[in-house]
Amino acid sequence: MNKLLYPFAAALILAGSAFTFIAAQNWQIADGYSIAFTSDDASGIFKGFKGNIAFDEQTPATAKFDVTIDVSSINTGNGLQNKHAKSDEWFDAAKFPVIHYTSQKVTKTASGWLATGDLEIHGVKKSTPIPFTFKKTATGGLFAGTFTVNRNDFKLGKPGGDVGEQIKLDISVPVNK
Amino acid sequence: MFKKSLTLGIVSGLLAGIAGILYAKLYYTANEADFSKVASSVRIISSSLFGGVLAAIGYTLLVKALKSKGEIVFNLLFTILSFASLLLPIAFKLPLTIETPELFPGMVIPMHLFPALGWYTLKPLFIKN
Repeated sequence: MNKLLYPFAAALILAGSAFTFIAAQNWQIADGYSIAFTSDDASGIFKGFKGNIAFDEQTPATAKFDVTIDVSSINTGNGLQNKHAKSDEWFDAAKFPVIHYTSQKVTKTASGWLATGDLEIHGVKKSTPIPFTFKKTATGGLFAGTFTVNRNDFKLGKPGGDVGEQIKLDISVPVNK
Repeated sequence: MFKKSLTLGIVSGLLAGIAGILYAKLYYTANEADFSKVASSVRIISSSLFGGVLAAIGYTLLVKALKSKGEIVFNLLFTILSFASLLLPIAFKLPLTIETPELFPGMVIPMHLFPALGWYTLKPLFIKN
């Protein structure tokens, strides 16, 4: 029995320590993040943002983004527009309270990084690549990315109309260790 | 004639501005909604004064042009324009740093009626028929 115990313990310690090397760094989302959107007619921000971010530049294969945006935290700067955006014609915040993004893989690109994963808005899930950059700061780091989604893909509003179909999202998320 | 109506416009505009500032402070206390970045005291006073002076010019022109019917038309126009101006705060887009834009019209809409209220209240003191 003892003959087996020590090799098993050694293997366990080795395996455990190996995982500590390949596990990505977990980051805490810090205050001061910005989730802004712009289109031809409407623009604004989402104030509610949370989730888990695991990312290490050395081991992108282990990176994982699982974040949600609180739909009811939308602010367009106009009370009537906010109410309209939360209504069932647009985000339907009562039925679909969050926008959810889960990354499947993260790869290095010439200008930064590319997260590929599922973006779920208004109950519609769609594979969405999100290009981003990561800069280390004194207290942690800063994720920043800009990408565009077509609101028709997520059945947001009616096709056409005053609000542009392409919605540009600018995301800036400071993180702490 | 214009001197009297201009004095009335300035006094009623000033009083409307003071009432607006007091109302803004009361609104802030009741709702914890601070809109001083977009509706500062100076801005409230100056826009109320602008309304009062504009009313004075309109009143003088209408009374000169329409004689006895001028005042009726002026009162009607002043009231209609004051109500029409309520659309402005409803459609106004605030800076995104302000977290409760839905409370903004509730603060500004009554202020849009203050210059007319001031004018109608003080007119008998300045212009006698």
